[in-house]
Amino acid sequence: MRKITFLVLSLTLLAAGTLFANGQQDKEKEIVLKWPSIWVGEDSKAGAVAELVDQFNADNAGKIRVEVEAQPDYDGYEQKIRTSIAAGIVPDIFTMKLNPTTKAYYESPLLMDFSKELNGGWGKDFNAGTVAQATVDGMVKSLPYEVAITPVWYNMDLFKKAGVSKYPQTYAEFLDAAAKLKAAGFIPTSQMTGGSNAWTSMLWYSHFLASFGGPDVYANPFGTDAYVKAAEVLLAMYSDGNTSIDAIGGDAGVSGGHYLAGESAMFINGPWYIGRVKSEAPAVYSATEVGPAPAAGNNKGAMVGFLQTNFAAAANADDPEKAAAAVKFIKWMTKSENVAKISAASGAMFAVKYDSSSITDELMGKFINASNDASFTIPHLEGVVTSDVITEFGQALGKMALGEATPEEFVEMLKKVQDQ
Amino acid sequence: MKALLNTLKWIILIFFLFVALYPLIWLLLASFKTNNLELQQNPFGFPEKWMFVNYYTAIVKAKLPALFIHSIIVAFSAVFVNLLVASMTSFVISREEFKGKNVLLTVLAAGILLPIISFMVPYFTIIQKMRLYDSLLALILVYSAINIPISVFLLTSFMDSIPRELEEAATIDGASFVQRFTKIIVPLSQTGLATAGTFCFIYSWNEFIMALLLTSSESSRTLQLGIRFFTSQFVTNYTAMYAAIVITIVPSIIVYFIFHNKIISGLTAGAVKG
Repeated sequence: MRKITFLVLSLTLLAAGTLFANGQQDKEKEIVLKWPSIWVGEDSKAGAVAELVDQFNADNAGKIRVEVEAQPDYDGYEQKIRTSIAAGIVPDIFTMKLNPTTKAYYESPLLMDFSKELNGGWGKDFNAGTVAQATVDGMVKSLPYEVAITPVWYNMDLFKKAGVSKYPQTYAEFLDAAAKLKAAGFIPTSQMTGGSNAWTSMLWYSHFLASFGGPDVYANPFGTDAYVKAAEVLLAMYSDGNTSIDAIGGDAGVSGGHYLAGESAMFINGPWYIGRVKSEAPAVYSATEVGPAPAAGNNKGAMVGFLQTNFAAAANADDPEKAAAAVKFIKWMTKSENVAKISAASGAMFAVKYDSSSITDELMGKFINASNDASFTIPHLEGVVTSDVITEFGQALGKMALGEATPEEFVEMLKKVQDQ
Repeated sequence: MKALLNTLKWIILIFFLFVALYPLIWLLLASFKTNNLELQQNPFGFPEKWMFVNYYTAIVKAKLPALFIHSIIVAFSAVFVNLLVASMTSFVISREEFKGKNVLLTVLAAGILLPIISFMVPYFTIIQKMRLYDSLLALILVYSAINIPISVFLLTSFMDSIPRELEEAATIDGASFVQRFTKIIVPLSQTGLATAGTFCFIYSWNEFIMALLLTSSESSRTLQLGIRFFTSQFVTNYTAMYAAIVITIVPSIIVYFIFHNKIISGLTAGAVKG
């Protein structure tokens, strides 16, 4: 009996090795590009992206084939890319969020520099300034693709029920509106300290930074006046019932959930959330307007916007044909009409110039207007500090919200991590 | 007084039972709820309508049956390789006398304390060099290797508790080194092997980050990866994901129930050596 068990297990092991070791088979002639992609599964862009990949493969049959490696977990995906690059192995094509941590990838000779291709005319396809944002030391090793703004979403139905006729433009108006909303049984704002970056609250904080510090706020050192004043306002958002009790420790599901349920009146997120609100809470969708956060400082009408996802590729210096194939595919993905298709299907916004008239979604139109009406735009905090500062952000915010740290101490905690 | 203490004991026990079981019960109830909104508005209550369709979605969308087979192959093979290597290692460390054996055991056991994340780059590089990337064999080798420290630690403690007289008698009867291992030590170490094997199985069954790192295609996708397909960067289909999780934790619970007596005795073996 034991011998049979041993034999069965040995055969199973052998079969696992032989049957499934399929990732390394190289095919001659055809260039195969591996693309570990996060735009799979439940992602709103998954369907449109899959169609475009299929079409590209059909158009280039026998010459180039793009194989999508589905990566459903975003944090895990980032970890995988970091590990791959650290191990000296870069995926043929991949996407990344450009921030101070990932800017280190630019130092790797393993990544393709798109600057020559962009200077050859391709650069004109992109919106002004986006390529510059992705340029480091004259190199463009990640191509701007998906962009986003993250305005405040506000539910006008709740405002009206609370007796507030218009969205607050200033902090004083906000406090007045919040008092009325609370009296009517609504939660004024959705907040969260949890998740890997306290996303919603980090965005609120970024809006207040813009309001206090202006367009150049991030040029000022961490810990200066604007950072503390913005922290004071953020603390006020967590005080006196201005947010839900589960905001401390809550994740994106909590902050978004209250807004979807028509319980909270104000919430911050990007355009990718439109589809979900539309399908899960149509009444909230209809009542939603978007705009800048109430001006707490002297700068009004500021918006938080950023490069959300950039394309990158392996340099493939020893295989110019493969490098050219990767460029061809990325050019295909950045073609105006293809970008319009993804945008129309998902509600996402892009750094590429495209005709947005095909976008019929009402809320998406409000996003585009909010972007156009912004007095200026700054990136969110996560885009300008290292990932360890953002990890600390949620922890420090939790402490501040619980009364264990003052706004000054909150900023000091972030500064300490950044200085380290 | 005795009755009061007895009642108090039961209250405390029931409280801890509730604390232990509540997350599982919550998960089970959540997996039958209608949508994310109901989860938010009624997180602790019974579903308004029992949505068995969530289980259908989980099975069809995440292709759970195929992933189940992959996970079973990986988990059982990893357990087999792990126990094979760890039992031989433990046998030598426990039963043979040689210089530096305590140092060897300490170095091996120290592996228990190392965070998995520190192995990511080396494992990724090794698996790529071996051209095993995107294969179940990669996961089998890595999972069995990661669990070697804990298995050696457990098995060495267990083998230390087996009387040496048994081996000496076998030696007198002509048993070779290999026979002492296969005929005496392994049969007497079944409890220890079950304990180490169960730990290895549960780890291999639940592991996610190495599976994400070392595989890419559907042909080598495990259950834990499949579950993540209910999430995206900004949106999660929680109810279907919970249904998938309920399905996937069943084997871990079954394995634990089958072996839990052996696990407890395996863990306590060697604790009171005479």
